[in-house]
Formats: sequence, C-alpha cells, structure tokens
Amino acid sequence: MSGDTQSTIDLKLPGLSVDKPDVRYDQQGDMTDPERLSQAMRNFAKDFGYVAAVHMDSCVHCGMCAEACHFYVSTGDAKYTPIHKIEPFKQAYKREAGPFAFFYRLFNLKPAVTADELRQWQELLYDSCTVCGRCSLICPMGIDIAGLVSHARHAMFKAGLVPHELHAVAQRAETEGSPLGATPKVFAERVEWMGDEHDIDIALDKEQADVLLTMSSIEIMKYPNAIAAAAKVMEYLGLSYTFSTEGYEATNFGLLSGNADWQRDMSLKLINAAIKCKAKYLILPECGHAYSALRWAGATMYGKPLPFKVRHISEFLAEQVSNGKLKLKGDLHKSVTFHDPCQVTRRGGVIEGPRTVLKALGVDLREMKENRGTNWCCGGGGGVVTIHRADQIRYKAFELKMRQVEDTGAEMLVTTCSNCRQTFDDGQAHFNWDKTAQSMLELVVENLVEA
Amino acid sequence: MAKSETVGEHLRRHGISRRAFLKFCAVTASAMALPPGAGKAIAETLAKQQRPNVIWLSFQECTGCTESLTRSYAPTIEKLIFDVISLDYHETLMAASGEAAEAAREAIIKDYPGKYVVMIDGSVPVEGGYATIGGKSMLDICKHTVANAAAVVCVGTCSSFGGIPYANPNPTGAKSISMLMDEGLVPRKPLINVSGCPPIPVVITGVVVHYLSYGVPELDHVGRPKAFFGQTIHDRCYRRPFYDQGKFAKTFDDEGARNGWCLFELGCKGPTTYNSCATTKWNDGTSFPIESGHGCLGCSEPNFWDKGSFYAPLATSESGGVYGLGAAAAAGVAVGVGAAIVSRNHQKKLQEGK
Amino acid sequence: MTVLDFARGPGLQWSLVIFVIGVLWRLVGIFFLKHTRDLNEPRNGGVAPWLGGLKVVFTRMWPRKEFRARTAYSETLSYIFHFGLAIVVFFGAFHITFIKSLFGVSWGNLPNSVIYFTAVITLATMVALLIRRLTHPVLKVLSNFDDYFSWAVVAAPLVTGLMATAHLGGPYETLLGVHILSFEVLLVWFPFGKLMHAFLVAPSRAAAGYVFTRKGAST
Repeated sequence: MSGDTQSTIDLKLPGLSVDKPDVRYDQQGDMTDPERLSQAMRNFAKDFGYVAAVHMDSCVHCGMCAEACHFYVSTGDAKYTPIHKIEPFKQAYKREAGPFAFFYRLFNLKPAVTADELRQWQELLYDSCTVCGRCSLICPMGIDIAGLVSHARHAMFKAGLVPHELHAVAQRAETEGSPLGATPKVFAERVEWMGDEHDIDIALDKEQADVLLTMSSIEIMKYPNAIAAAAKVMEYLGLSYTFSTEGYEATNFGLLSGNADWQRDMSLKLINAAIKCKAKYLILPECGHAYSALRWAGATMYGKPLPFKVRHISEFLAEQVSNGKLKLKGDLHKSVTFHDPCQVTRRGGVIEGPRTVLKALGVDLREMKENRGTNWCCGGGGGVVTIHRADQIRYKAFELKMRQVEDTGAEMLVTTCSNCRQTFDDGQAHFNWDKTAQSMLELVVENLVEA
Repeated sequence: MAKSETVGEHLRRHGISRRAFLKFCAVTASAMALPPGAGKAIAETLAKQQRPNVIWLSFQECTGCTESLTRSYAPTIEKLIFDVISLDYHETLMAASGEAAEAAREAIIKDYPGKYVVMIDGSVPVEGGYATIGGKSMLDICKHTVANAAAVVCVGTCSSFGGIPYANPNPTGAKSISMLMDEGLVPRKPLINVSGCPPIPVVITGVVVHYLSYGVPELDHVGRPKAFFGQTIHDRCYRRPFYDQGKFAKTFDDEGARNGWCLFELGCKGPTTYNSCATTKWNDGTSFPIESGHGCLGCSEPNFWDKGSFYAPLATSESGGVYGLGAAAAAGVAVGVGAAIVSRNHQKKLQEGK
Repeated sequence: MTVLDFARGPGLQWSLVIFVIGVLWRLVGIFFLKHTRDLNEPRNGGVAPWLGGLKVVFTRMWPRKEFRARTAYSETLSYIFHFGLAIVVFFGAFHITFIKSLFGVSWGNLPNSVIYFTAVITLATMVALLIRRLTHPVLKVLSNFDDYFSWAVVAAPLVTGLMATAHLGGPYETLLGVHILSFEVLLVWFPFGKLMHAFLVAPSRAAAGYVFTRKGAST
C-alpha cells in the first residue's frame, strides 16, 4: 500500500522539506518477494552498456572508495563502503549481462540475492548515498560507482523498495508537477508575489523568448527570492526570457528515486516548454541534480540532441561576468569560502565559473583544503535530505563540512545549489552553528552595478 | 673359465704391483667420496675375495657403454677392473664366439648360482622377433641369466631406463630391466642403475668395486647410486657463477659462448640432470660437454630423448607455440562476441517486456 | 610422465590456451555490449574526450593529494608488490627465456641474486597486504573468495620459485615442475577472477575518463 502521498511541508522548519512520517512505508506495491527480486535483478541488467559493464567487472576490492565517502569517513562504519552498495547488483550483472553469464546461471556461481538483502540494501543505496561521485574520483580502477548507484536505484524502484519519503515526493512530482506542492498554480502565484515584492515584471508564459528560466521547488517554496533574482539578471542583461507554467520544475525526483519513466516525464516538460517558446537557452537554477538531469541526460531522454543550449545559472553568470556584460561592484570585502555542489562541479563540470564570479564580487576567497572536484559533499543530495531515517548519519557527515569551513577562517559560506543551502540550514539549526550557505545568485544580484 | 683364485693371487700372477692396485682402489674410493683410509680398506677386502664372476649381457645397445669403459685415456686404472672381476661373458671383449661363448655363459649360471653378477647394457624388446642371440630372444636370455644372479648392474641409460630404443615411437616395445622386473617378466634381484649415455668410466668401476666391498650402495628413487648421481650437474657446474649473474650465451658462437658463459638458454638440462660429469668429467678429467661448449643433454635421466628439443631451455615448453595461441585467440574473440550478443538479446527482451 | 614433463608440456600448452580464450572472451564479451551514444552537447573548449580518457589511464595511477593521507599505506605497499612482481617476472633470466620462446622478443636480465631479493620483498608486502585485508573493517566487508584465492594463486609461484632456487622441499626437478604448475594455475584462474584487472584497468579508467572529460567534469 503506497504511503501517504500528500505529505505536507512545514515551511517554518529550517531545511526540512518533508514531514517525518509517523509510519514508514519503505515498500511499494503488492509484489511477493520473489517478484520483487526478479524485478530488481532483471531491471538492473537491462540498461547495461559496455561502460557500466566494464566498471562492474573491474572492482578489485581495494577499499579506497570508502576513504572518499563522507558517510564512511564520518561514522567509521564499513557498511557504507561505496562499492559495497552495489553488491547485489554485481551479482545481477554477472548472472544476466556479464561475459560469463551463462556459466553463472548454469552453475549458480554467485549466491542468490534475497529480497531481504535488497531491503537491507535500501538504506545503503538511498540513505547513505548522495551520488556525489567522490568515490568515482578516488577509484584506482576508474569505476564510476556513483553512476552504478543510479543504475541500482532503477532496479530498486521497479522492486518497490524506495524509502518512504523519497517515493512520496517523487510520486507527488510526477502527478502534481512538484515534489513539494509547487504546482503550476502555486508557481504562478509565487512568481506574481515575487514580482510584487521586488517591483519587477517577471515574464511568465511568453509565447517566444530566447531564454527559458527554470526553478527548483526548493527555491519556489523556501527561497522564492531566487525567482526574482534570476529575472533581475535577465533584465539587467537585456535578454528576452520567460518562465513557463508548463515547464518550470528543474528538480527531477524521477532521477533521484530511480524511476526512469518519471525522469523522462519530468525532463520532457522542461524540454517541450523550451521548444514551445523557441528558446535558445534553457537555464537551470541553483540546484545540483537538475544540472545532471537536464544538461547531461536531457538529450538522452529526448532521444535526439536538444535544439537549445542548457546552462547552469552559475556558469551562465560566469560567462556574462567574463564577457563584461554583467558588471559587479567588486567591493564585497568579506572573507568567503565556496562549497562546490557535487552535481554542478565534480559531476557537472562547472568548476572555475563560481570562482570567476566570486572574484568579480571582490571577496577574499579562501578555498577549502579540499576544493573543486575533491570538495566534500554537504550530505543532503541525491534525495538523502528527504529521508528522515538518514538524519543521524547526515549530521555526522555534516560535521566534516563544518570543520572544512571553519578551517578556512572565512566569515561567509557561499554555494550555488539550493538543496545544499537547505542542508546547511538544517545543519546550522541542529548544531547551532553560526554559519549557513548563501546563494551565489542572490549575492550577485545584490552587487550589480547600477545600469 | 675362471678357477677359484682370490683377486690378490690373480693380480700377483699377472704382475700387477700392490702399489698399482692400491692406487686403483684409492682413486675409486675418492670418486665415491668415501673417507680417507677407505681405499686401503677396499684393497684389503678385495684382495681376499674370490674374483667374482661377471656375466655382461648386451641387448639393444650401441656398445657405447663398453667403449666408454675400455677407451679411457689412462687405460691402466680402468682396465684394472678386469683384473678384479672375472668377466666371463662379454660379447665384444671375449675371445670366444658362437656356441662356445654361449656355453661359457651357461657354465657360470650353472656352476655359481647366487654368486655371479650380471651387468647389462641395452634395453630388452618384449615384442617377439626383434632381437635374438643364438636363436633365443633377448628377453629369454635376460630372464634365464638373471634368475640365478646375485645382483644386476645396469650399465647405461638403455638398460636403466630404456634409452634410445625406448624413445618415441619405441617400435620394438623396448623396456628397461627395472620395468621388466616390475612387470614380473624377469625375476627380481638387487638392482643398481648406472645410467648415462654412456656412463662415466670411473662411475661404472666405482659401483662395481663398492658392490664387491660393501654391497649395494645407497640408491636414489630411480635406483642410481647416490654417490655418483646424488647431485645435479647444475649444482657442481663450474659455469654456475655465470648463471647466477645472469650471463648467458645466446648462440653457440656469440661473445657469451666464447667467454664460457652459462648455456641455460641454449637448452642445457644441467639443473634437472643427476650425474658426476661436472666433477669427475670425462677422459680422465679432461672435460665434459658444458666445458666443451654444449649444454647437458640430461643423458642420465629417464626418457631424456623424449623431453623435447635439446636446445629448448628448461624454462620453455614444446607446446604448439604461437600458432596454437593464435587459434585460441580467435576462439576467445568468437565466444566473447557470442556471449555479448546473447546478453544484448537478453537485455532487449527485458526492455520490451517492461 | 613426471611433474616437470607435464608442466612443461601439455600443462603449459592448455593453460596458455585457456588463458588466451578466457581473457579475450571476457574483454570482448564486455565491449561488445551495447553503447548508446551520448547525445548531450559536450562541454565546449575542453580536451577531446578520447584524449581525456587516455590521460585518466595515467592520472589514476596515484591518488589526488586530498586523498593521499588516507590511502598512502595500501597504495605504497601495492606498488612495491606490483613492481617487485614485474621485476621478478620480466627481468628474471629464466622468465625472459620463456617469453622469448612464445613471442620471440627478449631483453636484458638482472642477476639472479637481485631477483631472489626482490621476490622476498614482494612476498613480504603480499603478506602485509593480506593481513590488512583480514583486519581492516572495510576490506572485511568487501572481501570474498576471489580476493583470497587470487592472492594465493599469485603467492604460490613466488613461494615455489624461491623454494626451487633454494632446493627446499624436494628434488629440484619436482620443485621446478611445481613452480611451473603453480604459474599454470595462475594462468587458468586469471581471466575469471580479479587478476583480470591487469587488462581491465586501462579500459575502465579510459571509459570513465572519456565520459567525464566530455562533460568537463572532474577526472
């Protein structure tokens, strides 16, 4: 029986997007255990190409991936070893798609996975993995472990084994258009509200525009100033832009929960909206996995190359700063450190862009000891922040982040992902920390040179 | 036909000085690494003994073993053995021939049962008709002669292990004496294998002298006296430092060969061959194959003819080589493609089914 | 047929055949699987993806400086082990002779004493790594039959090789035969366990390197 899909959110809570359920329903559907198992095993091997296959075949059990993972490093619990998350699916690969698959099946060479094991693995694949990719970076065999976790989530979804809250918000996103209740109607209302608050005319549902702006529900519901900030940047640059109530939600809980069909539905909304208004650019907001979903998987969902360019707002800002069109005052003389959102920087390739912007703002930039590609994950991505069962280990991982920030001695922390912001907010509340993450977009807008 | 005179009486009768005899015994004792004083002990023991009767049977052999014994550089020492023993039957050396020779052998068998020693060279064909002497098959002669013998000494690799006739394809069904004893074709008697192709002369004589003085010496797992066959050529080879330093001759005429470097890469079987060549050497200590620039063939080892090329180093095989592996590679690729295609179809079915 | 005859003869022949078939089967069986072309726009102005992929084959040879503190011990031991094994295998005269008989190419060798010394060091690091695998919490969770069997199958030729050269434990020709046989066991096991990483390390790194370079992502 599906869990409560109409979970409400409490906007007053600092950073929690979803209510803690009284009863957890971490299993979906009516399937028997053998059916669940069969679905999981078969659906994992289904998508395999040779890149995933060579990675599945290459692990030498060196254990280095654990040393890169914030969940292992902060708790010392070896079960969080990244490649260990894939264990049941290694068996699936070897039995179904590997080069010796025939013999594995014939001689039953790998012990059969049980449905109970899959239930055990749910926590490893969802609660303790933000798909941050730090493990992929350390692996001496070059295995993209984070990518394999995404594959595994497809199997878990088909088996009906997604954690309660994540499934709930994903279902909401698929049926209502937003995981957090930011339906098109609510979105339109908030656009109007922000327009009034900031005294600007925010373009919505224009028939034609060069730029389609998008937002994440986290921003829409919790940090709505982002809507206005994005619009202000467009106005400043004199670009023809629009938001669209047919395609505005940049988060993709299909991707996060592991439902490939929902992932496609969610991406296509944005893509079709951009095509409809004949946009040349689709700009993704300050969100991490939104970038992974649309920039690096959008065309895959669409089935052919996209007829427009996709950019993250941070790289777009950097571009405009570099070409001189976006003029910043440059007198923000604070010591600042930057948190690299995993999906934007390490996984996404927007590495120097934020530095360009921060330098143009005139800050005293103090890089963390681990910065850019090797920066530590905030611990809330990949859907983890929605899963209350994971709160304790998320907080342990957050201690790593706080130490990192404190070691720089910077007075301000900036980032360019609203889920990271929300995770930092929650961490700040839990630990009574004196810092949280500021939005780079909002900082830019506050420091624009008058036109 | 020998009378019953002791070895000492026989030697004196033939004018061989006691000093010469002592020297012979000392050389033999030192060749077997017996302690000092053993030479004298051997001399005293032998002198008092009756000259033991020896029947030398030659089967499928090349006569090289006899040649080795009789063609030594300093014949006096080795030839002395013929004064110590009474060699009553030897087809190459004896004066008699034909039926007289056969009669001499029969007399020893009848008159000295349990006392005479049979020395055998050459392997025995067990298929009928390949080798007969005086109308009798070699197998029958062997059986009949060994039946009354005190002990059997196999001289040379052919009688010890089968040798040349035994090598692939062995058309005559040749067998060694120990194989014949194991299969019950010949009565079992104390057996000493003095292998080598041919054996070193002093090894032959040393074994006989040891047997006469002390009985059967300590033997290895294939019946060879450990005194002469207890160590490998490799472990006593004078070129060993070059092996250890990694200096190898690569061809028979290169700088390495001319500098006397190790012959491992030219197929030397020294490491797996047990014999005394590296210490005792040949032609009264003149040289041995490796010293002359050719790798050891392993001629004192069983089946050495059938262990692949003499020039294939021990670290290689005589397997199909590159062509075989090429075929294997093609097979591997084909099966791999097949496996991938099966997987892809499997995946497609899964995709369509869901 | 003695142990040595078998090891040098049919043993070597068949183990090489199984090795070649198995390696190619596994590699081709992987790389003949489907591959969907990436239709997303690559990052502009970056390194060509194939070049990036090739670079990653080399850059992953040592962890990034941020990871070093936590990985230096095992990484260092592993390198000593790999290099030691390579020195013994590729610079021991007897082994070069074997390679020459198969492929016709040879090169200079190191003195035997260097080889023996290196073999001992290599074995020592293997033991240290085994202890680590048995005691480290992460490795205890991960390790399976493949890990331990592959360890044994690599240690055996080292141990038996040393025993043969030291004439320890039997007549030399038997020790030599056992040593060659132990290598044949390694050959037969190679394509089916984690030893295959020797052939997989480059394509696996290159595949990730290609995908990440195309995105401009961190490699």
